[in-house]
Amino acid sequence: MDKLRLLDIFRQMMLIRRFEEAVYDFHEQKLFGGHYHLYIGQEATGAAVMASLRSEDRVFSTHRNHGHAIARGVDPKNALAEILNRVDGTNGGRGGTFHLASADAGMPHTSALVGGAVPLAAGAGFAAKLQKSGGIGVSMFGDGCFEEGVVFETLNLALLWKLPVIFVCENNTPGAILKSQGGNNTSNLPEGRVIQIPQALGMECHEVDGGDAVAVDELFADCATRVRATGHPVFIEALTERWPGNYFSFPSMVTGLTQVSMAWDGSAISGEHEDWFKTHGPVLRFARDLIVNGVGTFGDIVGIDVDVTETITSAKEFALSSPLPETDSVYSHLLAGES
Amino acid sequence: MAVMTHAEALVEAIRECMDEDPNVALVWGSLMGVGGNNEHVEHIKEDFADRIFHPPISEAAIAAIATGAAMDGVRTIFPMGTASFMFRAWDQIIHEAGEAHYMSNGAVSVPAVFHVVHGLRGGGSVQHSQSPQSMLWNAPGIEIAMPSCPADAKGLMRTAIKSNNPTVFIDYQKLNKRSGEVPDGTYDIPFGVADIKRQGADITIVAASLQVVHSLEAAEVLSGEGIEAEIVDLRSLVPLDEEAILSSVGKTGRLVVVDEAPPRCSVASEVIATVAEKGMDLLKVPPVRVNRLPVHVPANVALEDFIGPNTDRIVEAAKQLCS
Repeated sequence: MDKLRLLDIFRQMMLIRRFEEAVYDFHEQKLFGGHYHLYIGQEATGAAVMASLRSEDRVFSTHRNHGHAIARGVDPKNALAEILNRVDGTNGGRGGTFHLASADAGMPHTSALVGGAVPLAAGAGFAAKLQKSGGIGVSMFGDGCFEEGVVFETLNLALLWKLPVIFVCENNTPGAILKSQGGNNTSNLPEGRVIQIPQALGMECHEVDGGDAVAVDELFADCATRVRATGHPVFIEALTERWPGNYFSFPSMVTGLTQVSMAWDGSAISGEHEDWFKTHGPVLRFARDLIVNGVGTFGDIVGIDVDVTETITSAKEFALSSPLPETDSVYSHLLAGES
Repeated sequence: MAVMTHAEALVEAIRECMDEDPNVALVWGSLMGVGGNNEHVEHIKEDFADRIFHPPISEAAIAAIATGAAMDGVRTIFPMGTASFMFRAWDQIIHEAGEAHYMSNGAVSVPAVFHVVHGLRGGGSVQHSQSPQSMLWNAPGIEIAMPSCPADAKGLMRTAIKSNNPTVFIDYQKLNKRSGEVPDGTYDIPFGVADIKRQGADITIVAASLQVVHSLEAAEVLSGEGIEAEIVDLRSLVPLDEEAILSSVGKTGRLVVVDEAPPRCSVASEVIATVAEKGMDLLKVPPVRVNRLPVHVPANVALEDFIGPNTDRIVEAAKQLCS
């Protein structure tokens, strides 16, 4: 067991959580417009997946991209500036919450269209194969993507053309209320499981508890090593518990700001979301595991939280002080070769 | 006359048509963004449960299913949500729905309705803000409706449902909550009949959808400066009421066309080309297009406002032509 690696994954998860709480706060203050999506509840998957990636790998994400960008190494100050559409944002303020991306961080483009990023990751695998870069393409996407035909086409092509891609489906629907029953999630498969679709094509498939950082890390690290060696695609379904704040059209901080002390002080846990705090919330769950398994102490956990909270506090100040783009900037970068 | 919102007027039209014709089916989706506590929504839910289908995120397949069903007389209303999402179903709408009647030599028709909300919506960024009207207009065989007010929304939706052609109903999220008077009872508004939303002798402003609202606001500002604008609301692009446009330009001699698609090959371009071909001598000065700027839509709301057609830009264009 690599203690430093596990503590680093925890640090990324904690950073994502504090980042998303900051995004929520900015939206409550009406500092950015439009719809947005938080990664709370899925931190273990994103942080553990990115832990095995190298600079030559490419990650493509979705509308729920903040956690992926942070764990991939995007500086939270540039990510927050992007969400506020400021010039110091990862996309110069153009993309906003839907499109956080950073070519420098190995995350070239983020699609806000359901299923849009899945073939792009296969494209990265295609380029890696041709260029013999040793890199892999990684697609992070939700279960709703299986409703789109382009996802099936991509899985098929990745096998036919033997592309080094890892498809990571973060399924946050188990236990959720279907849209047809008045809920607010997608995923309308009649029965059965999304994993059966790549299985039917003959793709190597794995299922993992997406709330268990160690399990995701072990599985993904192993898959990444093999995909680099064989060039064949792999599919992973990470089953995550839906954060109660995601049951609404807009995120709602129903579970309050995270108190890491809940990981060892059960008396702080009560009320409607008790089960979330005790069993599901990946940050508290991993903190508990780290302590129980002797990987980290209370002091380590609190220290990490203090560190990342400071990082986010200064990132918020940075983002708020970054200017909005000049109006004339709308004309730039329409075509390559122009300024 | 009852006062209701744009969204409520649409739902009333859908309820009436489902009441009138057992062949009308509905893909539920977000149902045009109408919230709860609406009697028509409740009525549709309860009484037509067997004709309502809840969609996965599968624009292409649903568009083609609606098209195939339409060939046997089932009139499916498919609210696709954000217009950007209809690109996934481009093939099915342009090829399958749009070509079937022609290629069957008139034997088959496709009475399906594809409802979308287009345009700048306040932070939609690049992939949730498309205005596909001019791209669609370049595809023969598809009717296109673009209402600007609740009364027109209802009458045009009824016509869209009853039409034997595939109709793309291009709506606007920002119109949904706007209220207006709606005539009592059932009524249809035929496609191809523009509506003069305001009379004026000095300049003609042609627009559709939300841009009619902006144009009416601009007309009030212009009136304060002694310029009386005539507002021609196209209401449908296919068919196009050329006569109404030419007649108004004949009266004023000046033309501004407002449209949210980027300028090249836009609705504004087509309207102006039509006037150039059929009424060049009516124009006292060269016409002007007011479009979204020819760039992508940034996430920033201030930049979004900057690139879009708006009241100020319409006023500016009109004053320039009248100076």
